Amino acid sequence: MKSEKTLTGKLLSNQVPVDSSTVLLSAGSLRHFGEFMVPIAVLLALWELVARFGGLPPSLFPPLEDIFRALLKMSGDGHLAADLAGTFTRLFQSIAIGAVFGTIVGTCMGHFRMWERALVVPMNFLLAIPGTALFPLTMIWFGLTEAAIISILIYEVALTVTVMTWTGVKSIDNSLIRAGRVFGANGLSMLWRVLIPAAMPSIISGYRIAFSRAWRILIIAEMLVSVSAGLGYRLYFAREYFQYDMVYAGLFVVGMSGLLIERVILRTLESMTVNRWGTVRELK
Amino acid sequence: MGELRVEQLSKAFPTAQKWGRSKWHTIFNNLQFSIKSGEFVCVIGPSGCGKSTLLSIAAGLEEASSGSVYVNDSPVRGPGLDRGVVFQEFALFPWLTVRGNIAFGLKSKGVPQAEVLARADKYVDLVGLSKFADYYPSRLSGGMRQRVGLGRALAIEPSVLLMDEPFGALDALTRENMQLALSDIWQETRKTVLFITHDIDEAVFLSDRVLVLNETPSRIVCELKIDLPRARDRSDPQFQWLVKQLDSAIRGDNNTTKHFGDN
Repeated sequence: MKSEKTLTGKLLSNQVPVDSSTVLLSAGSLRHFGEFMVPIAVLLALWELVARFGGLPPSLFPPLEDIFRALLKMSGDGHLAADLAGTFTRLFQSIAIGAVFGTIVGTCMGHFRMWERALVVPMNFLLAIPGTALFPLTMIWFGLTEAAIISILIYEVALTVTVMTWTGVKSIDNSLIRAGRVFGANGLSMLWRVLIPAAMPSIISGYRIAFSRAWRILIIAEMLVSVSAGLGYRLYFAREYFQYDMVYAGLFVVGMSGLLIERVILRTLESMTVNRWGTVRELK
Repeated sequence: MGELRVEQLSKAFPTAQKWGRSKWHTIFNNLQFSIKSGEFVCVIGPSGCGKSTLLSIAAGLEEASSGSVYVNDSPVRGPGLDRGVVFQEFALFPWLTVRGNIAFGLKSKGVPQAEVLARADKYVDLVGLSKFADYYPSRLSGGMRQRVGLGRALAIEPSVLLMDEPFGALDALTRENMQLALSDIWQETRKTVLFITHDIDEAVFLSDRVLVLNETPSRIVCELKIDLPRARDRSDPQFQWLVKQLDSAIRGDNNTTKHFGDN
């Protein structure tokens, strides 16, 4: 075999492989959009049928029109924007801190025996304590404040990410670690250059579970603690003031927000890493 | 260039523990040989003879029970960038492209960023993958993956190249292509190579000298020089005679040290 140093060889070397899904992007994404919209349309239609003809009191089971009107009102008077901003700020602050902490600690636990031995027992102890069970404690510490919520979210996210990262790093193929050592990765550079990318499929699963747990806790927490804006707070407030259509509108926003985070942030993270590398299977 | 010396090397594993007493299984005892600068040496032997353990010790990934491996007169005390390793299971980093994998060791070496890319590209070319430099390993065939493995090991410009059954996981046709490619690359770079294999034909095709490990604990039961001109012809009667000699040494019919072509 002779090395190829020709001009065409150089040019071709910059070519990125094209697969059929890129070529069929428009048709594919249209079909995808359909697959995703049809179940939603069916659900909405069912709802409307029951609300209009089910004989239930409209205050308990309002038609879509009322819910939509409540939604418009919320967004018109600026409440929706404030609620979304409040909830998302809390969520991202705590996920950012918890995920960084959990990824680093989990990686060290999966790689250094000392860390694993020292931390497995405390970790299992803490795993038995749900984040929500810490509310009495954080309320004593921080009062009815933001900090009472955020500390619990950080706890939950950090713990979940730690466990998933730890198991992910432990199941890395030993040959990759050997190759890393041979080619000069040691200590911290082993973490950044080998362990974390190699464990990325589990780490992302960890983020995903952590996000959904944090999201549930956050919505509940906003009902318990006196914050001035937040989706959970809005739901609670709406019930207190008998605005049932706003309760439904609020729940709709909570569901949509969760869906969007999954679709936009977590899917993007996946397609930028594990899907591109081919380290997870893609379903055809 | 580099010279590799194995001195009084022994390795034993603890097997079972009975009332606090370990039983030890000796893989090899007082192994001794050296590889001259620019020499290509194959170590062959039946499975379980410790040839891969020998390479792991030379790579610094495993510790010897006693004795040492020296690279250019300094003893091996852990992995180092003076030795490039090619693994049987390829062990490419799936999150890096072909170019990224080949550049991995260069970055560890502290080569400046601008030079890393130029030098990586040189080795991407050398292993014949310039069209695939931006591909991730998951899209490559087995043979191409091992070319990346070879490029990654060569790119750090090591004193010694350690290859652990690098073509063992490939199909027969790809393996022959890879042997030819390696033979060409070796003639171009003239690296000192320690090559582990169980394939006699491969050993005769590639190396200047073949060491046969056998018996328990293992020792070098046969040493054979191969002076045939490269690229070698497998149908050559001399080639086949050498293969037959090594075959009987591995089967244990023959315990004498042979030097072919000394006179």
